[in-house]
Amino acid sequence: MSKVETCVPALRRYAIALLRDRDQADDLVHDCLVNAISKLHTRRDDADMRAWLFAILHNLFISQRRRLKIKPDTMELNDATSNFASHPAPQDERLHWRDMLRGLDHLPEDQRSVLLLVGVEDLSYAETATVLGVPIGTVMSRLARARERLRQYTENGIPAPPRRVQ
Amino acid sequence: MSSIARPITDDDLHAYIDEQLDPTRMGEVAAHLRASTEDAAKVSAYRDQRDMLRAAFADIAAEPIPAYLNPHAIRQDIVSRRNMWRMAAAIVLAFGIGGGGGWSMHAQLAPQPRTITLLAEEAVANHVVYTADKRRPTELGAEQRDDLARWVSNRIQHQVAPPDLALAGYRYMGGRLAATDSGPAGMFMYQNDAGLRLTVFVRPVADKTNRPQEIVGVGAMEGCAWIDRGIGYTVVAALPSAELKRVATEIAGRTPAG
Repeated sequence: MSKVETCVPALRRYAIALLRDRDQADDLVHDCLVNAISKLHTRRDDADMRAWLFAILHNLFISQRRRLKIKPDTMELNDATSNFASHPAPQDERLHWRDMLRGLDHLPEDQRSVLLLVGVEDLSYAETATVLGVPIGTVMSRLARARERLRQYTENGIPAPPRRVQ
Repeated sequence: MSSIARPITDDDLHAYIDEQLDPTRMGEVAAHLRASTEDAAKVSAYRDQRDMLRAAFADIAAEPIPAYLNPHAIRQDIVSRRNMWRMAAAIVLAFGIGGGGGWSMHAQLAPQPRTITLLAEEAVANHVVYTADKRRPTELGAEQRDDLARWVSNRIQHQVAPPDLALAGYRYMGGRLAATDSGPAGMFMYQNDAGLRLTVFVRPVADKTNRPQEIVGVGAMEGCAWIDRGIGYTVVAALPSAELKRVATEIAGRTPAG
């Protein structure tokens, strides 16, 4: 249980980064924890607890997505990004930062997951492969594409497809 | 540039950033980056990108966790809910109480997220199921007392043994390993001359704080539960509270440490 507890902040961060909506993200984390804790006694050891929890979270996210039929490209931009659109931040650094999040939103979902799991959550390639249920080679190619795409976006400002911006 | 056995690929650059290479390969990539300004710039850009993403989401992980995402609260909620159903079903089966009786329990068993309550609920659920079994109430009988003590102790990773309650008027019958949402538990069963069955339920608890004996009502049953040095104990029998407490005191007074 203590191992589950230590993973909650990271699970929340991943969910919020994925969904960009705190309430939805916390609900997702709650579902994940209920699911995980119900099955906790079936596990022999805590070794890959983090990957196991992320996998549950990710699977719930995917099935929820499917159920709600929300496609990533029709998601609304979150407030921070929309604010940026109307009130450009004065500092270069800040501008770059907003750009980065905007770029992240424009990545295909499978690439975004890999980038967040490896880059932000610090999961190994093997753990990420477990979470997403894909081979390690796929993790690596998605990661390479995600990074290159995000770099192109932030450096060259490659125009994004039309989005709903308030 | 020194001679490098394997060419450095794009995958190597990423794995270098993420420190996913073995030390030898890390060294090879580092050497390559000193020679190739183009790849060095790429690695540096990707690294900046990663650091910025991390920074962007760092605050979220430092926030206090909302109360309803506390794993302990979630577990207690799950356990209470499960026990409620399990017990309702068990009692209906054991005593043939009709649907109405089962349903009236529903209201009495509102979730109470306290360890003492959980212990009593688990103990009563197991008591109801196993004492009602005429043919095989225990898994290991009285003659295998030591085997059971070893087995249960191994599984719950604490030294426990069936207490001797002969002086209190209860003859040891045997016991079994039981299941709870918090992991394995041990159940020891006794019988008095009148044929009344009594069980002692033990399992380790996360909260090591000692708790005094407390009578907890669980549906139509009662258990007397307490926590001593990280082990939760519950005595269950269809007896008046005072009598349950007497047996509990008998056990608590003689339980060896650890």
